Amino acid sequence: MSPSDVALLRDPGTPRATLDRPADYLHAEHTLRSWFLTTDHKRIALLYLASITGFFILGAIAAGLIRLALIVPNGQIFSNDTYNKIFTMHGVIMVWFFLIPSIPATFGNFLIPLMIGARDLAFPRLNLLSWYLFMAGALFTMLDLIIGGVDTGWTFYAPFSTTYSNSYVIPALIGVIIVGFSSILTGLNFIVTIHKMRAPGMGWFRMPIFVWTLYATSLIFLLGTPVITMALILLIMERAFHIGVFDPKLGGDPILFEHLFWFYSHPAVYIMVLPGMGVITELVAAFSQKSVFGYRFVAYASIGLASITFLVWGHHMFVNGQSQLASTVFSFLSFAVAVPSAVKVYNWTATIHKGSIRLDTPMLYAMGYIGLFVLGGLTGLFLATLAVDAHLHDTYFVVAHFHYIMVGGTMLAFLGGLHYWWPKFTGRLYPEAWGRVGAFLIFVGFNVTFFPQFILGYLGMPRRYHEYPPEFQILNIMSSAGSTILALGYFFPMSYLVWSLWFGKRAPNNPWNAKGLEWTTTSPPPAHNFDRTPIVDFEPYDYAIKAREVG
Amino acid sequence: MADAATIVGIERAEQFATVEQQREAATLGMWCWLLTELLLFAGLFLCALILRLQHPASVTLATKHLKFWIGATNTVVLICSSLTMSTAIVASRLGWRRLMLRAMLTTAALGTLFLCFKAYEYATDYAEHMVPFIARPYALAADQPTRLFVDIYYITTGLHAVHLITGIAILLVLTWQASRPRFLERHQNRIEIYGLYWHFIDLIWIIVFPVLYVLNR
Repeated sequence: MSPSDVALLRDPGTPRATLDRPADYLHAEHTLRSWFLTTDHKRIALLYLASITGFFILGAIAAGLIRLALIVPNGQIFSNDTYNKIFTMHGVIMVWFFLIPSIPATFGNFLIPLMIGARDLAFPRLNLLSWYLFMAGALFTMLDLIIGGVDTGWTFYAPFSTTYSNSYVIPALIGVIIVGFSSILTGLNFIVTIHKMRAPGMGWFRMPIFVWTLYATSLIFLLGTPVITMALILLIMERAFHIGVFDPKLGGDPILFEHLFWFYSHPAVYIMVLPGMGVITELVAAFSQKSVFGYRFVAYASIGLASITFLVWGHHMFVNGQSQLASTVFSFLSFAVAVPSAVKVYNWTATIHKGSIRLDTPMLYAMGYIGLFVLGGLTGLFLATLAVDAHLHDTYFVVAHFHYIMVGGTMLAFLGGLHYWWPKFTGRLYPEAWGRVGAFLIFVGFNVTFFPQFILGYLGMPRRYHEYPPEFQILNIMSSAGSTILALGYFFPMSYLVWSLWFGKRAPNNPWNAKGLEWTTTSPPPAHNFDRTPIVDFEPYDYAIKAREVG
Repeated sequence: MADAATIVGIERAEQFATVEQQREAATLGMWCWLLTELLLFAGLFLCALILRLQHPASVTLATKHLKFWIGATNTVVLICSSLTMSTAIVASRLGWRRLMLRAMLTTAALGTLFLCFKAYEYATDYAEHMVPFIARPYALAADQPTRLFVDIYYITTGLHAVHLITGIAILLVLTWQASRPRFLERHQNRIEIYGLYWHFIDLIWIIVFPVLYVLNR
C-alpha cells in the first residue's frame, strides 16, 4: 500500500496536495495579505460574503430577542429601553449591513465581470476601498452597540433622534453615513464597468437580466444615497451643534426629515429588491432550461422600477401631516409601481410554463420567492390606498408586508443565488438533499412567523410596542414559534455550505447546464476570469426551449 | 516652451483592454461621482427654495443680512480659478509641464483666497449676531422662520467649503506628483479628471450664490 493510498483511506474528502489544473483565484495566493489587500473582484466578493453573514447572524439574534419579548403581553421580559434598542439594532443591522450590500456587493462583485466577459471591475482598488469603508461603518455601529445602543428605530425620526433620545445616536449615524459611501462607490464601479468593460459582441440586450437589475440598483445607489447622507449629516449637526433643521424648537421642521429620509429609503427598498429579481430571473431560466419570456420587457421593467421608485416616497407619510393633494398623487404613483413588478412576476411564470423543470434547491427558493413576493406586493397595494393606510399605518400589517418583500423576497433570492453560484464561487457542490430540507424549513418557518402579523396588524397591534392586549397573545406566540423554525432553517445552509468547502463534491464548470458567460469558465474561475477574452456571438438565455412570445 | 517635447499619455492598467477604454472609464467614473455630489447638495437647495415659497418675507429679511458683495466677489474668484484649471488641462495635453504646474498652483491659491473671503464673511455674520445656534443673542430672533434659512445657509456654505478644502488638498498633492518626471507620460488623464471635480465645486457655488444671496433681494 503506497503512502498516498493511506491518506485516501483516512480522509477521502481531502483533495490531493497537487492540483490537476492551473491555480484558480482561490489558490493563486495564500497569504492573509493576498486576501485583505486583494483587488480581485472575486476575492472582495467573498470578503463581503463573510462580513454580511456575520452581520446577518447579529441581526437575526436581535430578531430572536424581539420575538422572545413578544411571547408575553405585559412586556416583562425586557425593559422598554432595552426593547427599543433591540428592535433598532435589528433594523439598522439588517437594512444597512445585510440587505443593502447582500446581493449587490457579493454576487454583483463576483458575477458582473464574469457575466459581461471582463477581467475585473473598472476600478479594482476603489472596490477594495468600498469594503474597507463598509467595515469602518460597521465598526462605528458595533461600537455603538457595545457602549450602550441606540433607541430611535432604524428610521432615526427627528426630533426624537436629535433632541429627546438619551442613547448613542451619533456613532450610529456616522456608521450609516460611512456605509452609504461604500454603496455609492460600489454603484459607481458597477455603472462604469457595465458601460465600458463589456466583452466584444456583448451588447446591452445580450446582457443577463441580473446585470440589468444591478445597473438599475447602481443608479439608485448614485442618486438616492447622497440624499440620505445629507439628511443624516443634518441630524448630526442638530444633535451635536444645535443647528436647527428638524426640531421646531430650534426653528426646524420635523416633516422635512421624513421627506429627505424617505426620498432615499423608499428607493432603498428597490436596492434590496431589484438584485433579488435579477437572481430569480437567472434561476428560473436555468431550471426551466428555457429562454426568459419577454427578455426586453424584464430589462425595461428593472429600469422602470428604479425610476418610479424615486416618486413614491410620500406614501410613508399619509398620516404625518402631508397635504391631501400630495398624498393622492403619491398614492397613485405607488399603484404605478405594481405594473413593472407584475411584468416581472408574469414573465417568470411564463418562463417556467412548459419548460423542462428541475426542482433543485435554487429553484425551490425561486418558487418560494415568486409566491411570497406576490403576497408582499399585493399587501403593498393595500398600504398605498389612502383610506386603508389610515387604519394600517404603523401596525404589524406594515411589518409583515415588508418582511414578505425583504425576507420572503430578497433573503430567499440571496439563498437561491448562493446555492446556484456556490459551485462557481468555491468549486464545490453542496449536498442537494440537505439543501431541499433547508429550503422547505425556511419557507414554512417564514410563513408561520409573518402571516399572523398581517392579522395582528389588521386587528390593530401597533409596531414597536412590546406591551399588547392579552387577546393578541396566541397570534404572537404563533409568530414566535415560527421564528424558531425559520432559525433552524437558516442553520441548515450555514452548516452544510461550510461543510461543503472541504468535503463537498468537486463541481464541474457548468453543473446546471446553464447559459451565460460565467458558466463558460472554470469552477472556480482563474484569477483573470477568462483565459482568452470571450467574444459574444450568441443571444442571452440561449436554451433549447424558446419562449413563445406570440399569442 | 522648453519642454514641449514631453510625451503625453496614459499607462494602461491591467484590467482594461485598451488605453482608450481606460480613459473613457475614468471620465465616466468621475461624472458618476459628480452626479452623486450634486444630489448631496440638491436636498439643501430644495429646502432653501421651498422655504422661500413658504415664508417669502422672513427669507428676504434674512437674505438682506448676507454679504452680497463678498458672495459676488467669491463667484468671480472661483470662475477665475476654473479658468486657470482649464489652462492647466490644456497645458497638460500639450505637454507644457511648467505652465501646467503654475496654473495648478494659481488654482489652489484662488481657492484659498475664496476661503479667506468666506472666513471673513462668517466673522462679520458673527459680529452682526447672525449665528442662531450658539449661546449668543440672535438678531432676527423675533422672526422664527429666518432661523431655518440661516441654518441652511451655514450648512450649505460649510459643506461647500469642506469640498473646497478637500479639493485644494488633492490639488496640491496632484501638483507635487505632476512635478515629478514622466508623470504626463503615464497619468495625463488625472489632470483632466481632477479638472472636472474643480469645475464642479465652481458649479455648486454658482447654484449656491443665487439660491441664497440673489433671489428676492
